[in-house]
Amino acid sequence: MSWDGFVEGLRSFVLWSMDVTAVPIIVYFILINTSLLVLIVLAYLGFRAQQRRRSTAVTWQGAGLAPGVSLLVPAYNEEAGIVMAVKSFLTLRYPRHEVVVVDDGSSDQTFARLAEAFDLVQVPRELPHEIPIRAKVLGIFVPRDGRTRLVVVRKENSGRSEAINVAINAASEPLVAMIDGDSILEPDGLLHVTRPFADDPTRMVATGGAIRPVNGSRVVSGRIVRVEMPQTWIPRIQLVEYLRAFLLGRTGWSRLGGLILISGAFGLFRRDVVVEVGGLDPNSIGEDFELVMRIHKRLRDEGRDYSIEFVPEPVSWTEVPVTAKVLRNQRRRWHRGLWETLWAYRSMLFRPKYGRIGWLALPYYWLFELFAPLLELFGIIIVPLALALGIVNVPFAILFLVLAYGYAVLVTLAAMVVDEWAFHKHDRWRAVWQTIAASILENIGYRQATVWWRLEGWWSSLRGKKHVWGVMTRTGFDEDPA
Amino acid sequence: MIIGGALLVGATVVILGGCLLLILAVVAVRARRHSRTQRDEMLLSPLRRPLITVASGEDDDGAAAEQLTWAAGVSRAVLDRNIVELLTKIRGVPAEQLVHVLEVHGAVDAAVAEMSSRSAVKRARAAQLLGLARAGQTVPLLIDALGDEAVEVRNSAAYALGLIGDPAAAGPVLAAIGAPDRGLPAATAAEALQSMGVGISEVLRDGMADPNARTRMVAAHLSGERSFTRGLPELRGLLDADPDLTVRETSASAIGRLGRREDVGILVRHTVPSEPLELRRACVIALGDLGEAEAIPALAVLLDDSDPRLAELAATALLSMGPGGRDALAGHENDPAVRSARLLASLQKASA
Repeated sequence: MSWDGFVEGLRSFVLWSMDVTAVPIIVYFILINTSLLVLIVLAYLGFRAQQRRRSTAVTWQGAGLAPGVSLLVPAYNEEAGIVMAVKSFLTLRYPRHEVVVVDDGSSDQTFARLAEAFDLVQVPRELPHEIPIRAKVLGIFVPRDGRTRLVVVRKENSGRSEAINVAINAASEPLVAMIDGDSILEPDGLLHVTRPFADDPTRMVATGGAIRPVNGSRVVSGRIVRVEMPQTWIPRIQLVEYLRAFLLGRTGWSRLGGLILISGAFGLFRRDVVVEVGGLDPNSIGEDFELVMRIHKRLRDEGRDYSIEFVPEPVSWTEVPVTAKVLRNQRRRWHRGLWETLWAYRSMLFRPKYGRIGWLALPYYWLFELFAPLLELFGIIIVPLALALGIVNVPFAILFLVLAYGYAVLVTLAAMVVDEWAFHKHDRWRAVWQTIAASILENIGYRQATVWWRLEGWWSSLRGKKHVWGVMTRTGFDEDPA
Repeated sequence: MIIGGALLVGATVVILGGCLLLILAVVAVRARRHSRTQRDEMLLSPLRRPLITVASGEDDDGAAAEQLTWAAGVSRAVLDRNIVELLTKIRGVPAEQLVHVLEVHGAVDAAVAEMSSRSAVKRARAAQLLGLARAGQTVPLLIDALGDEAVEVRNSAAYALGLIGDPAAAGPVLAAIGAPDRGLPAATAAEALQSMGVGISEVLRDGMADPNARTRMVAAHLSGERSFTRGLPELRGLLDADPDLTVRETSASAIGRLGRREDVGILVRHTVPSEPLELRRACVIALGDLGEAEAIPALAVLLDDSDPRLAELAATALLSMGPGGRDALAGHENDPAVRSARLLASLQKASA
């Protein structure tokens, strides 16, 4: 085929594609950004009520109805920070909580550090098998002082989900909080996130806490002493993403009664409900999402009256990827988990008994989360191609850019206003300008890269490729990063 | 695909204009917060020293409190806000002096008037001020506010009623938990009720028959916390037959705190394998709390239970029951549950 023939063929294909998809693609971008804007407006309404409550808050120190909490900390090769993390978890302000660390077959000194710091002694305890476990438990240890509420379980390596399941079996309190060993909790974080359980003890089954990137902030002895912006652009852009999608998006969904995703970095659940549904699925890539979906399905199938809420107050701070390689791994995993979970629970779509979950949240996740990278990639390829072939004029291409990316910047800025008004976490003006810059830069390269990575994750699942867990390289955050 | 210039310009202007407005909004929000903080700091600075003197209990001659009563205008409003905040942390004479300052400023009367304000924030703050000022004469007003449309007002009213501590408000507070669409959060209600003394036991008994599960749970929980033995028949009923598992577990724990010998049988009845595991465990813990020797045979049987935690809880309970309980562990010395319970008990004893 001659070059001219190839170009003509391509031109015909692009022309046909544009005829069929141009309007739907633009409408899709308008819809996806508008839906985010609606969620942000809902979040604003939620925050306004929250602000009213905060400005008129009465002191609650968790006395009385505060349910006991077991903090479940899976640890794999966390020798650098595990002792500091456990100490900070033990000293959280809360009337009754214990820390359950599961050393998931670490090959480093994770256990040795814990044993030395807390003078651990082995307990000849047999763990309950409420959630079936495949890996062998090697030992259970408690501090010799008999007072510190810490339990350390050593087991063969079998992954994070099973480590958490072991921790659930070992937990003795009615609520279990799943947290990462490298997370930093706000001193009052547990009081905030358990409050819905104390207010509505018979209906509340799970709450998610707001998670923010800790990169760049000053951390001393497991506590954030000054919130700062990350020092490089990749985590800065993630900060903007967390703000838009995690904080405001989930607050909006919670307000709509359609919260279906609680982040694995911090989630609080009724232990008996998690046990009842069988714990985390060790075969699932999106185990946190899958768990919440399983809870929804089970409780709705049984017609039970329950509630799952998101708590927008800052609860947990986590280190986000600083390199493209780690970020790629994370996004591939997230999208693969999203696809596999949505597919697994496709039977809930548009079924009346699943209410807003089936009619609103799940269709939204299918359309605007799962398919988003596919459609965005199509737009990224077809519009420049059409422009090059003279099929669309420059104003159309600009309109596409304005609606796809300009609108996205507007949505992010709206999220930023709401966050600034409600939480005001950054004191310095420089942080404002950096956040604005990140919301623009996100659309130049970063967004396109994540689109590709997400599709890679989806594709590898469709091909049945085994997922390989990447290593999240932690730069650490103890002491002053400067 | 040809796009008209008007559509392009329109869309671009709307999006870019919106972005610009939002950036200005961020700047405005920050600037407003900053200027407010500075203004409040400036207005409060001349009054800070006498305020600290009073709050720290060093105003022996009342001069500092007197000085605070002179504040006027915006300074007075800022001062009153600070006093209200301090009143949540201090008690005794300093608190009384600060309440007196609020009274002289007319803040208490103003709060009564603000209870009918259109602003939910003002109503909530007014309710809190009335509670912090221990304005007992406003109890009926605060009881009405328990049914307010705004949850923060309901919360604040319950908080205020708890501070005032009048047991006459216990019934309305408990009833407010189950109010349809305008329910009072259980945690706030429980804290308020805890401050209302022993006169609320009958209210709690009635609350345990309420159709709302949250109300029953709060009533059961508080009956146990406050050791109101008159509520035992109701607690037994809830443990036996309540449709809500959380209520049953709460009742079991309450019986463990205040129960009698005859409650051993009731608790043991719910340790059988056909009961939910969480309830069985709660009942075993309750049997340990009860400490009655009649429970020993049943607990000894549970040492062989298929649930290792239940077995360990039974062993722990037996260890706490003196020689009789320890004797019941004979023959189980090598059971992991018994060894674990023994080790933990010895560690705790050593650290005591």
